Amino acid sequence: MSALPAGEPGPQVLVPHWLAGADREQLAAVVRAALVEADVHPVATIHLEDVLTELHVAAARDLVWPASAARVRLATGWDDDVLPVRLSADELASLLALSALPDTLRDRLHGGAGR
Amino acid sequence: MDTRFGGASAGLLQRLRSTRIGVADLREVADRLLPALATSRLRLDLVQRPGAGSVVVLEEDERIVRVHLSDLAEQMTRAGVPPTTPAISAALSSWVAHRPVTDAAAATGGIAVLDWSDAAQTAVGWRVVVRRGELALPWTPVRTAGGAEVHRTRSAAIGRAHEVTLDLRAEGPVALWSHPTVPLLATAALVAPERMIQTIAAAGLAMPDMQVVVTPHRPVACAGPGIAARLAGETTEASVTLPWRRLADLTWI
Repeated sequence: MSALPAGEPGPQVLVPHWLAGADREQLAAVVRAALVEADVHPVATIHLEDVLTELHVAAARDLVWPASAARVRLATGWDDDVLPVRLSADELASLLALSALPDTLRDRLHGGAGR
Repeated sequence: MDTRFGGASAGLLQRLRSTRIGVADLREVADRLLPALATSRLRLDLVQRPGAGSVVVLEEDERIVRVHLSDLAEQMTRAGVPPTTPAISAALSSWVAHRPVTDAAAATGGIAVLDWSDAAQTAVGWRVVVRRGELALPWTPVRTAGGAEVHRTRSAAIGRAHEVTLDLRAEGPVALWSHPTVPLLATAALVAPERMIQTIAAAGLAMPDMQVVVTPHRPVACAGPGIAARLAGETTEASVTLPWRRLADLTWI
């Protein structure tokens, strides 16, 4: 039996995508450019705005609690500016639907939890 | 982790090698160092007791700490202090700096901050802390302290918290407050949340329904409810998120 009322989706799981500073800046630029275009679906617009929010929140999370990401960076040898950007399936799908998304970023995001 | 002995940890490898702090080595350091650390109010004595080992006695106003030298050596070993004279000296100085806060120090220099109110780090409450260099140490009222006296100390600490200067940084929709040298003081601004909202608004972030995300000893994050939930909900670190209006209802530790 579900604890949630029928028909109501629960909160989506956010999956971390480890992105370097330059990747995050490029992703934000692509999303901002897409948001000023008229042909983005209104629902996708909401998801893309949430992606922009998450890019800021990911940086804020690392400022408040730097230890957990630092441990991962130490174990993997990633650079200091690599942070987990946590996206829902809908947010990720909205990003991957952007034709302007560069292949390098597309590959990183397709990689799921890894880089 | 025991932080009373400062950050001079020997590292995991050395701890695995089990390099112990010898009581004789600690006594040698204590004999030389304790007189230098004493002040007109702070007495530091190494009391030799035949057959029972030596005891370090730290006495300041109403606060008295007694610890066997052998226990102190054991605690330093467990904390990973390297068994060298400079490291033991630094650890002993740090231990003295972490001594209990006296009522007089709290009354004249206490600052109100939020700290964990339980060992499991699930709740926060107000606490009076006193600065000693780059440390902020908690004050615990003695059981016999009068209610009016405790109230006066806490009220004055709230007043001083207003005067603590913090750094404000905006990260998109998140406002982050931190103290440049004493991390625990980052929560001092929370005594006046409406002033925080005004300052954040002046920086270009309207946040009338501000929620605060508090992890004592870490920067304080402020954001709207949805963003605060996203910030704190996706970390394994302990934190407490609460609407700014509830700050005044938090109890004293």
